[in-house]
Amino acid sequence: MDDASTLVHLLARSAAARPDAEALVADGVALTYAALWAQVERACESLRQEGLASGDHVALILPNSPAYVVWFYAILASGAVVVPINPDAATAELINRLQHSGATAAILDRSRLARPSLEAVADSGIDIVNSDAVMADSAAGQQPTAIDLPAIDAADLAAIFYTSGTTAEPRGVMLSHRNLVSNTLAISEALALRPSDRVLAALPFFYAYGNSVLHTHLAAGATVVIEQSLMYPQRVVDTMRAQQITGFPGVPSMFTSLVERSSFGAGASALPRLRYVTQAGAAMRLSDIARVRARFPNVAFHVMYGQTEATARLTMLPPRDIDHRPGSAGLPIRGVRLRIMASEDREARPGETGDVQVSGPGVMLGYWRAPAATASVITDNGLERWLRTGDLGYVDDDGFLYLTGRRADLIKTGAHRVLPAAIEEAALELADVAEAAACGIPDPMLGQSVLLVVVPRRGANLTTAAVQAHCRKRLTRHMVPARVVIAGALPRTASGKVQRQTLPTVRSMEARPWAR
Amino acid sequence: MLTFNADSLRLTVRQYILANHLFTDDPSALNDDESFQESRIVDSMGMIQIIQFLESSYDIKIHDHEMVPEELDSVNRIVRLVARKQRAA
Repeated sequence: MDDASTLVHLLARSAAARPDAEALVADGVALTYAALWAQVERACESLRQEGLASGDHVALILPNSPAYVVWFYAILASGAVVVPINPDAATAELINRLQHSGATAAILDRSRLARPSLEAVADSGIDIVNSDAVMADSAAGQQPTAIDLPAIDAADLAAIFYTSGTTAEPRGVMLSHRNLVSNTLAISEALALRPSDRVLAALPFFYAYGNSVLHTHLAAGATVVIEQSLMYPQRVVDTMRAQQITGFPGVPSMFTSLVERSSFGAGASALPRLRYVTQAGAAMRLSDIARVRARFPNVAFHVMYGQTEATARLTMLPPRDIDHRPGSAGLPIRGVRLRIMASEDREARPGETGDVQVSGPGVMLGYWRAPAATASVITDNGLERWLRTGDLGYVDDDGFLYLTGRRADLIKTGAHRVLPAAIEEAALELADVAEAAACGIPDPMLGQSVLLVVVPRRGANLTTAAVQAHCRKRLTRHMVPARVVIAGALPRTASGKVQRQTLPTVRSMEARPWAR
Repeated sequence: MLTFNADSLRLTVRQYILANHLFTDDPSALNDDESFQESRIVDSMGMIQIIQFLESSYDIKIHDHEMVPEELDSVNRIVRLVARKQRAA
């Protein structure tokens, strides 16, 4: 095992090189690299005392916080597999993920988790570890020592990240230590991160983008300033200014919110130390990019593209090219190979649109407990292993990628990905609902919001409010439909397939008798 | 534009949050002092929607420096903010 085969080794390097530097800041309180490492050690020891074995799966159900970071590294250092789960997930989703992942232990903050969720975790028989157990003891001034790492092969499973999926078919992306390390180093290099950087981490750590923000900056020996929410944009900008933030990674809705609702819109005078921003998660309108750049003319604006199945990022548009190649997602980052397939066996010519496929050390091991789903996106001929991203696009003569479309069904709302089937599954639990179909509709702030069209059973007295109330109970907030339409029928093709693209044109039949 | 009356203002804000964020008409589902952030009734995009609702309903402008929990993080705080702005108008 070389000295950079896991993220723990990368953190150890930073802790050894910069023990007194700030690794994390949350609520104005800083944790040095030495203190962070000491806490990881203690958490690791605590896991061993709990009887955790190498290879066990451990659910991490925490919001962005120092505790999340400590336990993430401690789980990896124990040789176990970390399974981050959205702490705000609806109870049904939470239990589904716990059961599907095969987790034997769950680390959570009892005081923060909603009571029904907490009870459900307790009832599932999973060993609950209180996240505060090792955090309470301040570790200021401690010098890093060596954690006795179990034998870890870089190819071993390190983490399972749940991406869009249904309860019936969850999609747990299996990432190896090599996946995580290679992508972390490639992104860090592409962004030229440096120890003096201070990044505002507001993207959720339990998603691939936020996960990469965390590990890339810790690997660079930089400071991660943790923010749990962008609910109060001006408060976030005040934090950015006070913490002398140099980097801000965001999704399009975050930039819109900050520009329109805070002094971020005042530009460089509000944030004089800002050096770079990254934008990923969904295509950002060129006019919105221009709006941010006009306010921060000396800030490097990095457009990036990636997906969880490739650990995080795949391509990056260098800031110097943003004016010459508007709309491009950029060039592959180190280690990534890109090809556009015009058909199953023919690669597209420059300018010709086709399926975007990628290869490289960041490509996932597969979906956990879903071999058929894995086989549908991974092509492996023994020599080469390619991931079908599900996106459509082309490359220009210089190899720059342009995305033109994506998997038809996936809804991108804010920083989240939602499969329509997950919403339909919840709606169909209502006895009065005969059919349901969901799709994304344009939303000026979120990019897309969720539209749900339901067809009531004969004689049913169904209201949109009742459907929304049920969805609110069953689904995580970002999945709750912004608009529900009660219709007489779903639009279908001649073969009976639901035409999702025409759902927004379906007319409401609410408050009409349902005799059919 | 709605005119100022503390009781009707409170009722309107409550009804808006119950209907659009809790998806219920049960008034007991929302306490007037309940923190939106702590109870996670509202997320970051929900807060933007609340502000847009207040600005359009009461013909007021909520400034950047007012976009803080002290002004907006409960029904009572919102009522106080809107009432103050309407009196100043």
